[in-house]
Amino acid sequence: MWKGIGKRESGELRPSLFCSRIRSSRAASLQLSNHKEIVSAHRGSVNSLQVDLTEGRYLLSGGADASVAVYDIQNSTHCEEGGRVAKHKSIFVIDKQHEHGHKYAISSTIWYPIDTGLFVTGSYDHYINVWDTNTTQVVMNFKTPGKVYRIAMSSLATSHMLIAAGTEDVQVRLCDIASGAFAHTLSGHRDGVMSVEWSTSSEWVLLTGGSDGAIRFWDIRRAGCFSVLDQSNSQLGRRPPFLENSALNKASTSKASAAGQSSSVKARALQRRAANGNGSKQSTIGRVRNQVKGSMKHRLHPGLLSSQDRATAHYGAVIGLKMTGDGMYLLSAGSDSRLRLWDIESGCNTLVNFETVRLQTSKPLQLSLTQDSALVFVPCMATAKAFDVWSGKTRLTLRGHYENVNCCWFNAQDQELFTGGNDRQILVWSPPNLITDDVDALSRKGQAALDEDNWSD
Amino acid sequence: MENPASGPGAWSSSSRKRRERDEQEETPPDTDATGHSLSLEENFTFSDTLVALRIMRAQFPRIDKVSVRPFILRSQLYSSVDDRTQVDRELESLRREKVLRIFKLNTGQDDHAIMFVDDYLNQIERISKRMEGKKQYDVAVLEWFKIHVISSKLDPSIGHEELCTLLSMGGKVKDDHITLLINAGLLTRQLIDPTMYWFTIPNIGSVLKGLSQGRKELLSFLNRRKYKEMMLAPLERKCLRLSPMDMRFHLRDLIGSGHLKTAKTPSGLLVRVVKE
Repeated sequence: MWKGIGKRESGELRPSLFCSRIRSSRAASLQLSNHKEIVSAHRGSVNSLQVDLTEGRYLLSGGADASVAVYDIQNSTHCEEGGRVAKHKSIFVIDKQHEHGHKYAISSTIWYPIDTGLFVTGSYDHYINVWDTNTTQVVMNFKTPGKVYRIAMSSLATSHMLIAAGTEDVQVRLCDIASGAFAHTLSGHRDGVMSVEWSTSSEWVLLTGGSDGAIRFWDIRRAGCFSVLDQSNSQLGRRPPFLENSALNKASTSKASAAGQSSSVKARALQRRAANGNGSKQSTIGRVRNQVKGSMKHRLHPGLLSSQDRATAHYGAVIGLKMTGDGMYLLSAGSDSRLRLWDIESGCNTLVNFETVRLQTSKPLQLSLTQDSALVFVPCMATAKAFDVWSGKTRLTLRGHYENVNCCWFNAQDQELFTGGNDRQILVWSPPNLITDDVDALSRKGQAALDEDNWSD
Repeated sequence: MENPASGPGAWSSSSRKRRERDEQEETPPDTDATGHSLSLEENFTFSDTLVALRIMRAQFPRIDKVSVRPFILRSQLYSSVDDRTQVDRELESLRREKVLRIFKLNTGQDDHAIMFVDDYLNQIERISKRMEGKKQYDVAVLEWFKIHVISSKLDPSIGHEELCTLLSMGGKVKDDHITLLINAGLLTRQLIDPTMYWFTIPNIGSVLKGLSQGRKELLSFLNRRKYKEMMLAPLERKCLRLSPMDMRFHLRDLIGSGHLKTAKTPSGLLVRVVKE
């Protein structure tokens, strides 16, 4: 480390490289923090965690007992154990007693991306509430037809304020805070949608993963999804090789165009199918479609053609999605206990094998990436594992929770990981403290008094 | 997975002569024709996927009652080659070169069986010979299947329309033909989606049953022990009652799928149950 500082001083090492080396070495040495603890205010499992994107100071958590809590992770509330452990209690807690609070479990909580004045919660009681942080009052709410599994807002958005909601209904809904109504719905999934994520490179692109195993890309300005990821489309390596690119593309585009043409000639009206909606009827729909195929030649909107595409990205439900910061790769976790890395531009599976044995199947998971996208943190049953994104090897296994871990959030500013689990705890994992820092102002004053030059009497 | 120390293969066992072996305790070290030891401990990891596939194919146990060509499970490959990503990528390129085919099995969540294309075609030959005796026109469908469908469709599943399109390159296709293919064991319907079919290996039913029962038996055997672990060498010599496959097959499979893990000790490898 000192050598690195010397090199940076002399100009041999670029400052940004120096920074990223320190960050990655800190992220690679995470362990259960012995100087920071969060006093969880939840009486049920912690389902969702997020640190705000503007300051990186406030942690928002949602629990299965319909409680929402906000913690200040930079300033502790009090100290224990001789000033060595900083405890952070919640700044406020909203629970079932609140007049407009949720009635059932909260599955997803997010901060408003622009500032921390608002936050949004989605719950199994079919409601999405928008809260004002300072007054802890519900400003707006949206009712969805099914349990809300996940909500997301785009951090890049400058021209829209849409909340994308994935529910157990097949349609993904976009709720507009500016108008208080639903902007539009995206249909194409054949079963509930467990994970939604906005693209990190475009404010108009939304990714959704459904319980039918499909991952769809939607451009919200157009109708229909423009891409469905297929796990059998694969490429051997991070980027498709130049020479083989044309061959691969030809194969995949010819497949896609053949499917497209056959479905446009033989498809029936999509509006009718969207109205039916429910995934449980899909076997009868499949049968009917086969018989109706030859006779009906309805003109289908070209944007809706891709809903005929039944490619699956996973053999089970897609329970977690995370896009890398540069917008080039996507990580998806499925209930078939597989984690897949996709190259977004070519739409191919890069065949990186992550050594996951089991992933929980009923609840959506929250994955987290480090800033340079080198490590991905995945909750695997009762542990959180850190995998190397490009090779798939397990770098860290973080054991600390007593029961299944549901969510994790990596705070890139301080290289800390927060994990929440079914045991109602929120654990903090940080790089080891080499120098014992002063934890609180009180103890600092005490020590400073000793250090001070006390010769002036 | 660690590379095992190369020591004397005194207590190694072979796949073929297991039953005779059990009767005589002090057997000479078992080797194959070229004099190489065949114990699991010595041949645990391989450098290359194709090498691993060929060796495991050669070690596939011969089952008396059912005639099944050798197949390898994907989890066995994961436990035999160090880098799983490399295994996936090499399998993908071999699949594209039509050297082998991958089938999805219905035992468990993520089970895949890998078979060399020659073996698979051989298996189809056997099936068509068996069915020739029953009805006249049907064998033609199997030929169309072999020529048109298998050579062009390399994925483990196929949709109904595509299947009909490819088969009709051989002749007129009727629903009975597809029923025949399903009865012969070459295709099976997907449970989630009625218009998609999985490719399957014919005559494999009893082997798969033995596979899942053998897995359960091995795991319960280790779980019943006091510390839920056992040295690899004596474990390998045990015989599974419910499965026609040998212990080495099941060990590789369970280690690769993560249910068991190995640890290196001074007296050899130790097999432990993973509790998560």
